[in-house]
Amino acid sequence: MTVAVALHPGGSGTALLVRLAARRDRVLVPVWLAVLVLVCFASAASTTSLYTTEAERVDAAKAINASPGIVALYGPILDVHSTGELAMTKLTVTYAVLVAVMLLFVVRRHTRGDEENGQAELVGATAVSAGAPLDAAVVFGGAVSLLLGVLVALANVAGGLPLAGSVAFGASWAGTGLVATGLTALACQVSASARSCAALAAAGIGALFVLRAVGDTTDAPWLSWLSPFGWNTRLRAYGDTRWWVLLLHLGLTALLVAGAQALRRHRDLGSGVVQPRPGPATGSPRLADAITLSLRLHAPMTVVWTLAVALCGLVFGAIAPSFDAFDSPAIRDMLERVGGAGAFRDTLLSAVVSVLAVVVTCFGVAVVGHAGNDEHDGRTEEVLATATSRSRTFLAAGIVAVGGATWLLLVTGVGLAVGVGNDTDHSFAGLVASPLSQAPAVWVVVAGALALFAWRSQWALLGWGLVVVSVTLDTVAELLGLPDWVLELSPYHHAPMMPLASFDPDPALVLTLLAAVLATAGWLVYRGRDIG
Amino acid sequence: MGERAITVEGLVKTFGSTRALDGLDLRAERGEVHGFLGPNGAGKSTTLRALLGLIRVDAGVASIFGMDPWRDAVPLHRRIAYVPGDVALWPNLSGGETVDLLLRMRGADPRISRRAELVERFRLDPTKRGRAYSKGNRQKVALVAAFAAPVELLALDEPTTGLDPLMEQVFNECVAEKVAEGATILLSSHILSEVERLADRVTIIRDGRAVETGSLEELRHLRRTRVRAQLPGPVPDLATVPGVHNLAVEGDTLTCTVEPDAMLTVLQALTAAGVRSLSSTPPTLEELFLDVYRTSPDGVRR
Repeated sequence: MTVAVALHPGGSGTALLVRLAARRDRVLVPVWLAVLVLVCFASAASTTSLYTTEAERVDAAKAINASPGIVALYGPILDVHSTGELAMTKLTVTYAVLVAVMLLFVVRRHTRGDEENGQAELVGATAVSAGAPLDAAVVFGGAVSLLLGVLVALANVAGGLPLAGSVAFGASWAGTGLVATGLTALACQVSASARSCAALAAAGIGALFVLRAVGDTTDAPWLSWLSPFGWNTRLRAYGDTRWWVLLLHLGLTALLVAGAQALRRHRDLGSGVVQPRPGPATGSPRLADAITLSLRLHAPMTVVWTLAVALCGLVFGAIAPSFDAFDSPAIRDMLERVGGAGAFRDTLLSAVVSVLAVVVTCFGVAVVGHAGNDEHDGRTEEVLATATSRSRTFLAAGIVAVGGATWLLLVTGVGLAVGVGNDTDHSFAGLVASPLSQAPAVWVVVAGALALFAWRSQWALLGWGLVVVSVTLDTVAELLGLPDWVLELSPYHHAPMMPLASFDPDPALVLTLLAAVLATAGWLVYRGRDIG
Repeated sequence: MGERAITVEGLVKTFGSTRALDGLDLRAERGEVHGFLGPNGAGKSTTLRALLGLIRVDAGVASIFGMDPWRDAVPLHRRIAYVPGDVALWPNLSGGETVDLLLRMRGADPRISRRAELVERFRLDPTKRGRAYSKGNRQKVALVAAFAAPVELLALDEPTTGLDPLMEQVFNECVAEKVAEGATILLSSHILSEVERLADRVTIIRDGRAVETGSLEELRHLRRTRVRAQLPGPVPDLATVPGVHNLAVEGDTLTCTVEPDAMLTVLQALTAAGVRSLSSTPPTLEELFLDVYRTSPDGVRR
């Protein structure tokens, strides 16, 4: 212990590990922060310039509150006179989910991720205390959350929103980040598998979001008080601010972190609270080549994703009829101004579909990322040393990435169609087809990730960059009034907005062709490069 | 048969500015255990990866059973089993599933192989998940999958580094059984005693180049023998004899190391002095190894 004290005046080595975490995340975190800050600025700036009179703002806010579908997705606007609340409609709750997801990745990486790949053991053998890695991950997550809060507050002020409200809004996002930090720290104690821990934390975030959605749209508003996402709305950042709500964020974070620390003390390094079940002693005859291996490894993830997108499709399909309830001239006017036109419900359905298409793309990019990990860790080498060709291993990753994403789009469509049910305006097939019409855009991004992986295994992670860039272009370029060609760089921009627009084969063909060219180029490069 | 198991001539592989392989030569005959010796970073793993067609070489020729490791990778790999130095498993697959998967991907049927017997002998728990295995147990998974496959060549990259002495014994037996079946084994290692025990022939690699190759006897023949003699009378002056090194006289006992060419002269001098007792020890591989590494690449002793 004297050595530890001598090396780190703080005593445990936590400070040193926090600096290590900051160094390791020097690219990921700044990029993520920049995207979130940019989205805040764009929303603030566009809303303040979009609505010039208070009457317009009140109309828009009342319309939003009148639709259970919108409220379920974004949360209500508590003060209809507030510009800030209107500007932050999507951000207060829905984009706060992205904040939580960022912290999920960051905290898992520095806790369970390190334990799974053995770095924690290396660190644990040095003069740091046993609790230091977890403490450091929590401190780092907290610091990132606070930094995000400050930056977002500044962005909103720069976008033309009032100072005090912007500070409160920034604080609500920082609070969301803190809660996500605690939640992930807790989830990462449960299983020895980093992937299971992430799924658990993601399920927790999802459950808190749904709790709030139900509370906001039913006769049980107290349910929203049980969710940190509900607190973000109830803080009333741009209205009569209830600053004490932030204490709820802090209190829950403290509870979660204390729980995580207690669990950590009762388990061994590298193991979880839940012991893994033993596996089969022999392998199934069907598990016999690279493709069946890839399918088998991704089966649990595919099942979880399938259930999740089916549920999303069902819920949004079911609430779609209520979209029409607030179809009024004022709202039509608003939607036309932000770029939408046509049938109101279709506009919203199309928006839902395009969001889900981006979410589904993440599945494909994650699969390509796994291929990169397999090569980095040496598993690909073991497979290629058997009678398995390069083409087959490449195909194994490609089939699951592209095929899985397409399958999820189909499931989304079926969910939507079942959710909408009997509807004179839409055919079942038309609704099933609407997410599938986004498939060519999804393929382009996934094929781009495959090509990056084919070039160099470490570049597989850059696939996430493709997703982020495409989405940012799609959401921000329009709001900021950037030139059209910038917007057109995003493949999603070229996919038809079904059911709003009818299917246009030309862009779909071009996108599909582009995806095929990217995948083929990747395959050719992969066949000739060094492995590992 | 006919074709040699492994033929490598002038292999060059560069990674950026590093020359990992610098004109490597390697020959392994069928049915032999060929020790591939060198310290970390000498290029052993790079050679194995080139022989498996995992990396493309910049110059030189490599062939296994007369086939091109890069072009004919798939048909060749049905005849080869590979155990990497650092075995990585799929975290969610059990050890048993991994063994069977690797066997099936090598074109073998686990149910009619020696898999069950080997799992028993290596004391492997096949129901554990990949992430739960220690380094030694991960190695056992790969070794079982390699030894159970009906292959003609096993490429083993430092295969015993994680095994305890008991398991090392099992490993040695498995190697012997494979050789009895007629298989060729390329055993990369930096553990000299292991290679000395198992290998018929040895190639010593340094900085990407083979510096010595041959049977252990041939290599020993090239190297100095340690001589220790007790003499009753005056000790003869051997310091002027070329090929005699490390000469030391302590009372009536003389010790030195002698190059093969100088042996006759030394023995004659000792006999003339009326030697009372004499012991000569052949160089251990350890000494051969150190000898090679004391030599700089241009052949000048340091």
